[in-house]
Amino acid sequence: MDRRALLASMLAIRAFEEALARHPDAGFQLFSSGEEAVAVGVCAALGPHDQLLSSGRSIGPALARGLDPGVVMAELLGRATGPCKGKGGRGHLAQPAAGFFGAHAVVGGNLTIAAGVALAMQMQRTGGIVACIFGDGACGSGALHETLNIAALWKLPLLLVCDDNGWSISTPREAALAPRSPADLAAPFGIRAASVDGMDVIAVRDAATALTKHVRGGAGPAFLACDAERFSTHSTATRETRSREAMEAARARCPIRRLAQSMRDEGELREDALATLERDAADAAASALRFAERSPPTDIDEIRRDVD
Amino acid sequence: MIYALAVPGPIEDVEELRVLQWHGEPGTRFAAGELIVELETHKAVVEVRASGPGVLRAILCPAGDWQAVGRTLALIGDDDAEPLPPPDAAGARFDVAFEVT
Amino acid sequence: MSTERVAKVFFAEAIARALGEAMARDPRVVILGQDVGRFGGPYREFAGLHARFGDERVRDMPVAEASMVGVGVGAAAAGLRPLVSITYMDFVMLGLDPLVNYGAKLRYKTGGQLTAPVVVKCTAGAKGQGVAHSQSLESWLAGVAGLKVVAPSTPADAYGLMVAALADGGPVVYVDHKRLFPTAGELADAPAPVPIGRAIVRRPGRDVTIATHSYMCRVADAAADRLAADGISCEIVDLRTLWPLDVATVAASVARTGALVTLEEGQLACGIGSEVAFRVREEVGRMRVVRLGAARAPVSGNPRLEAATLPRPDDVAAAVRRLLDAKADER
Repeated sequence: MDRRALLASMLAIRAFEEALARHPDAGFQLFSSGEEAVAVGVCAALGPHDQLLSSGRSIGPALARGLDPGVVMAELLGRATGPCKGKGGRGHLAQPAAGFFGAHAVVGGNLTIAAGVALAMQMQRTGGIVACIFGDGACGSGALHETLNIAALWKLPLLLVCDDNGWSISTPREAALAPRSPADLAAPFGIRAASVDGMDVIAVRDAATALTKHVRGGAGPAFLACDAERFSTHSTATRETRSREAMEAARARCPIRRLAQSMRDEGELREDALATLERDAADAAASALRFAERSPPTDIDEIRRDVD
Repeated sequence: MIYALAVPGPIEDVEELRVLQWHGEPGTRFAAGELIVELETHKAVVEVRASGPGVLRAILCPAGDWQAVGRTLALIGDDDAEPLPPPDAAGARFDVAFEVT
Repeated sequence: MSTERVAKVFFAEAIARALGEAMARDPRVVILGQDVGRFGGPYREFAGLHARFGDERVRDMPVAEASMVGVGVGAAAAGLRPLVSITYMDFVMLGLDPLVNYGAKLRYKTGGQLTAPVVVKCTAGAKGQGVAHSQSLESWLAGVAGLKVVAPSTPADAYGLMVAALADGGPVVYVDHKRLFPTAGELADAPAPVPIGRAIVRRPGRDVTIATHSYMCRVADAAADRLAADGISCEIVDLRTLWPLDVATVAASVARTGALVTLEEGQLACGIGSEVAFRVREEVGRMRVVRLGAARAPVSGNPRLEAATLPRPDDVAAAVRRLLDAKADER
């Protein structure tokens, strides 16, 4: 995936979330802004036969994976045209036919599931691999330990991606995790690991590509830790705990500005081009919002459908 | 004398067993310690061995049949000539040793 | 009338037969659990399957139920049809997040895009192994929207419900019982299907309906023998499926007998009997009813304490007598 496409993908996520955040019916949301490079960089290494799973912070991963922004917005706003018919929302957004096996809102809840999906793909010999993005908040869970163990034992085709924004709501990672780096968790299991700057989409893409190559070769699972920053609160229901200085320092690492600057420096992006790209992204987000708003709300009778 | 070879017991948890394999046929002579029949429980095989000499005279429960603990599997005689009693006649028990493997 | 060939088999053999047939027919069926491979299952319920189908399809897992269930559910969502074997039902608790938060809700939360056709087999019941290796927790799971829960009491139903569970869209929790493995029963060469959601009248009777499941069916039967000597005729309804519950069969029985005893090895509070009693009352109206279950206590491995904690045939018989002696007005 070329740099222009990476930039456009990150811009699309940022604009989408800005449009959603302004909407009166946005409800309970977890935003990916700041963390776009993790999802976009990882997805650049995935192909059509692969599957991506995510945590409840699903907007970035879903859009990066290529889901249509209109149907994603519809799902978030509880419309019948969402891929889950509006019944999953952001926390359970999924479109497996498009390679997004789905989000799951339980911290660490998608990890053993991802191992199971990888087992099925291994046995079916599809050649596909599974990538699962989770936050640093899941690193203390037994589920991660069990997933690392079984993935290593069975050489599952699984790439575990820790989107480490340094916070479990109000608890900093250092207070929640004894190992210095999430990637240290992979070492005891003999799993190949890498740590990258999660605000540098090129670095994420390159590391993900190298690790997916390892996984595709049948050598077993891999672990990618991405050091990232979230630009807003953990969720729309949580208060900000960081100081203004800390927030400014985080925003200074913006992955979009960083890539745009790098492209400008190398003559790949004209001075005014970023503004144009931002406008295009805003237009696309507005279009997605219009599609969602015009879609019928989820039928109440859906309560009793798809239960058994 | 004709004796009844009964399913040995008690065996913990076990009420009835399946006859797995006879290690002889009518006319076979057994010495003490020899394996007469293997029985199957839900989790183990029971080896039934003669405690003393005897001749297998009639198999009442062939392989694949089921029988309860204490009930008769076969008739054993001191020799192979003595006439067999009617089926319902009570017989003394033929002594066996059994091992649950 | 056709002559149906039947053979007597142990409870575990019925399970192994159902799995062997399913695995031969459908390469997607796999078994995950502890001691399921060469060991053949803790109760020999998977005997011969590893020899036939190998390491790839019969996989021993570490003692880690969260990943056992999670991997099984995830693999099911991605196209396999796994059976996850939980040796002690007590430890299904460690797998409740993937089973309940993901598996049971998967079809719903994805709007039908994904399903989880997984069977989670748990062995329940008390048999001298102590407070954390003895529980019957099926009532917990019957309350989860999206799960089906079945509990065979005979080898024929162990086979039939396993066939049905493996064919179901899932997830299905299949609950067998430690004390059923030593038992034997008839299984036909070409058995009639046992559908999920259908109870059966195990023993017809006139004076009282005993609605029960799993090992307690045998306790009910022993109680019924004792009561028969006193001229009391008990109808035993084996629920077989705990969710979806076949209320109609129990209600039809109670409409005839007028009296209902619910009997379970699990706890009474929010137990299967509470659900059965209330739902039957909704159908039948006035009736005499009593629920029987474990005393409200953990079940000690001390054999005398264990026996006194759980319903025994004499307890059931005494309860039936009290119920029938009571005034005809229902509670």
